[in-house]
Amino acid sequence: MGSTAAAFTYLWPEIIVALTGGLILIADLIWPAPAGDGRSRAWLAYLGVAGLLAAAMATVPDIGVTKTLFGGIIVVDSLSAFFSFLFLGIGALTLLLSVHAVPKFTRWIAEFYALVVWCTLGHMLLASTGELFTIFITLQLTSLPLIVLIGYAKLDPKSGEAALKYLLLVLVSTAVLIYGMSLVYGSLGTSTISEIGAKLATSHDIGTVLAIGLVLLLTGFAFKITAAPFHYWVPDTYEGAPTPVTAFMSVGSKFAGFALALRIIVEGLKVPLNWHLIFGVMAALSMTVGNLGAIRQTNIKRMLAYSGIAQAGYLLVGVAALSSAGVASVLFYAVAYALANLAAFGVVITVANATGSTEIKSYAGLAKRAPLVGLACAIALLSLGGLPLMAGFMAKFYVFLSAARSGLVWLVAIGVVNSVISLYYYLRVIYEVYVREGETESLFVDRPAALAMSLCIAGVLALGVFPDYALRAANFAASALFR
Amino acid sequence: MTGIPVLSIIVLAPVTAALLIGLFGGNPKLPRAIALAAGTIALMGAVWVFAIYDRVAGGFQFAERVPWIPSFGVSYSLGVDGISAPMLLLTALIIFTGVLVSWNVEERPREYFALLLLLVTGVFGVFAARDAFLLFFFYEMAVLPMYLLIAVWGSTRKEYAAMKLTLFLFAGSATLIVLLVLVYWQVGQGTFDLAVWSSHTFPRTFQHWAFLLALVGFGTLIPIFPLHTWSPDGHVAAPTAVSMLHAGVLLKIGAYGLIRLGLTLFPQGWGDWALLIAVIGIINIVYGALCAMSQTDLKYVVGYSSVSHMGYVLLGLAVGGTYGLTGAVFQMFSHGIMTGLFFALIGYVYEKTHTRKIAEISGLMQRAPLVAACFIIAAASSMGLPSTAGFVAELTVYVGVVLKSVWLAAAAFVGVVVTAAYLLRVLSHILLGDPSEAVAPISDAPPLRFAPMAILAGTIMLVGILPGTLYTIIGSGVAPLLQRLAGG
Repeated sequence: MGSTAAAFTYLWPEIIVALTGGLILIADLIWPAPAGDGRSRAWLAYLGVAGLLAAAMATVPDIGVTKTLFGGIIVVDSLSAFFSFLFLGIGALTLLLSVHAVPKFTRWIAEFYALVVWCTLGHMLLASTGELFTIFITLQLTSLPLIVLIGYAKLDPKSGEAALKYLLLVLVSTAVLIYGMSLVYGSLGTSTISEIGAKLATSHDIGTVLAIGLVLLLTGFAFKITAAPFHYWVPDTYEGAPTPVTAFMSVGSKFAGFALALRIIVEGLKVPLNWHLIFGVMAALSMTVGNLGAIRQTNIKRMLAYSGIAQAGYLLVGVAALSSAGVASVLFYAVAYALANLAAFGVVITVANATGSTEIKSYAGLAKRAPLVGLACAIALLSLGGLPLMAGFMAKFYVFLSAARSGLVWLVAIGVVNSVISLYYYLRVIYEVYVREGETESLFVDRPAALAMSLCIAGVLALGVFPDYALRAANFAASALFR
Repeated sequence: MTGIPVLSIIVLAPVTAALLIGLFGGNPKLPRAIALAAGTIALMGAVWVFAIYDRVAGGFQFAERVPWIPSFGVSYSLGVDGISAPMLLLTALIIFTGVLVSWNVEERPREYFALLLLLVTGVFGVFAARDAFLLFFFYEMAVLPMYLLIAVWGSTRKEYAAMKLTLFLFAGSATLIVLLVLVYWQVGQGTFDLAVWSSHTFPRTFQHWAFLLALVGFGTLIPIFPLHTWSPDGHVAAPTAVSMLHAGVLLKIGAYGLIRLGLTLFPQGWGDWALLIAVIGIINIVYGALCAMSQTDLKYVVGYSSVSHMGYVLLGLAVGGTYGLTGAVFQMFSHGIMTGLFFALIGYVYEKTHTRKIAEISGLMQRAPLVAACFIIAAASSMGLPSTAGFVAELTVYVGVVLKSVWLAAAAFVGVVVTAAYLLRVLSHILLGDPSEAVAPISDAPPLRFAPMAILAGTIMLVGILPGTLYTIIGSGVAPLLQRLAGG
């Protein structure tokens, strides 16, 4: 009993986040909003941000710890701490970006914030699960709130369609996943990841059933990380979902998939399959499909959806390296991508709030209407394109560096060609923002979104010019996997 | 040497000025003043470095080194030798005159000068970097502002040209990323320090392919045939100061990078591909000149002449030897100044007459004799006439080529004839005769506009008449490279 109580002390961050979600709902009940005044609910979002920050504080003691709780169900280590910080940051930034956007499409504002917070909880738990069936349950914890969030704009048919599509996707990927899990469990007789690793390491003969099981497991994650060829749901869902939700899932849900995949891969590596090739091909496909798809888009949310598929490809390049440096590069890339992508979505939300449009052509003249938003847009997109002074440059370079070390020069070559292609569509948006003449009246930028964008851009530039601290943190977290 | 980090001052003055402009540039007159101040500081620094550099001792001087990204083994490491010192001076001259040329930019001066200065920091950084990662970082930083500078302030199909230029240059740099990561692991000491890389001996096959990567990557920038098509389009579409920087300096980054990361690191690889480079060089010279001949737009003439003149640099690098290499670097400097002057002149003419059509311009000599005189000096250098910088450069390259192969020299000589033909055709048309209708509003440039032309024309003559000081400093930079090539 005593040890169980002690185990819970490691779960303080998760407990705080869970309570924060409940607190938002209760507070909303006690101090209800005057009818029709959505703006007055902003403080609920700030309450959520405060809760997430408190959870981040509570995560600090977990750095450098390696602890397996509840018989291997939960693993608390530097890697899970790294991801916790990332997901808490993503959650907090999403809340800030939502303050002015959410009242535009719903009356149920407190519930929206609570769902974002709980979804964040799911992401955090996914990064520290060490057992297959817990993975299954935590996956539901991330997916179910997300389905509701995607369909939140219930008067917009696109939102409902997106939610339905995502629901179907979740059903399919869950089915694949659980089938894979049962095959693995059936072959090895254990569902704890570390024990799976231990058994794989000692057995010389890997049965076909087990191999199929592992591949199915990874397929389940491939849906979540929006890797090609499992990406078909992405553009429609991203376009239809309310923009703050798109921003949230484009990074949160994606990295949750990566967090989980990394843990399983390190153990699964012991199976003699050509993992370099499997992930390499997936990476190459994702980059190419994503970038070529993005070129044709006229809607910025769809463009960012395809760009997200391509970015998943770059992340997979780091995964394909299958080394500590590779994992570290994935972690660093995740931070760089999250900051840049949230900043980009901040711009999309700001423009959509003012003009109601997410078409790229409505960005004409943005630099004159709101110079700082225009600048944020340019910096965010150039960072996504991997240009220097921005975090994206360092991130891409690190990913390629670690892939080259594992001998994946062909993958690096495909990667660099892709980053040139991607510049084309990022520059096209910047062309609209800076060169094309458009409306001239100044654009309203709300304070919380401005704060979120400023934080993201400051982070993008800081990581782009002085990346070393973050690089060391990523290396430290990655080394937890390769003890 | 001295305790003053003069290289950092040169490199960081422009970017600091860009930040200042971004923060306080609200007043429309302020950005250009800040830019001029930064240009002046950089120019003084570059002249100081050029003058003080110890030509006898050689090697890398004014070294600075601070760890930057220890996780990658990257340091902020600067230093100049006899090859980079002239390049710094060239860049400083071009940006100083470029700011003067842009003095009357009225459209969004704040963004214009900030981007221009950001670009220049990148260029300075490339020439001063002693760390391969840093060099690459600065290189991409220089390319990045180009897109907006052309797309916003340019002319003639600017959207197309800006995108084409950007994609070509980044395609080149993509090749370089592959090169960098390969060499990094091949050296295997966890560092991007060029000094370490340069003392490493790479395996034979590795050199063969790595040199090809460097040739394609930097060659796109030089630009080598057939990867050159972005360059004339980009020159033409860009605003005057950007054309000056672009043709004057940016192309040199390509040749400079090829020397640093190609020839120096992979001497055997250089040997494998030297003949190819020579052939490309001759194609550049002759094909560029022929293209220039058929142009009707003044800027396109100079744009293609750049393709042609950079061919001499390639030819010099291909034949190697003291004369070939010295001539190549000399040509980099002299072409930079010459083409900068050309674009400054054409920019002035275009500003006054709103045309660059050769057919519509004539009689400049009567309307603006000083401008016409500068045209003649630039053209003389371009044709390689004695007492200009171009003469020394091309003569040195030819001596190097003749020592290697008379046939190569003969083939390249065709270019000289064609160059003279197209330049004389253009000059006689625009300078002589009666002033045409379009030329009516033009008169001699006011002092502020004439200053950049005078500075550049003066440099051409000065270097042409007294080439010694430039020649010795380049010689001191080329000497270790020669040893390395001979040893490889």
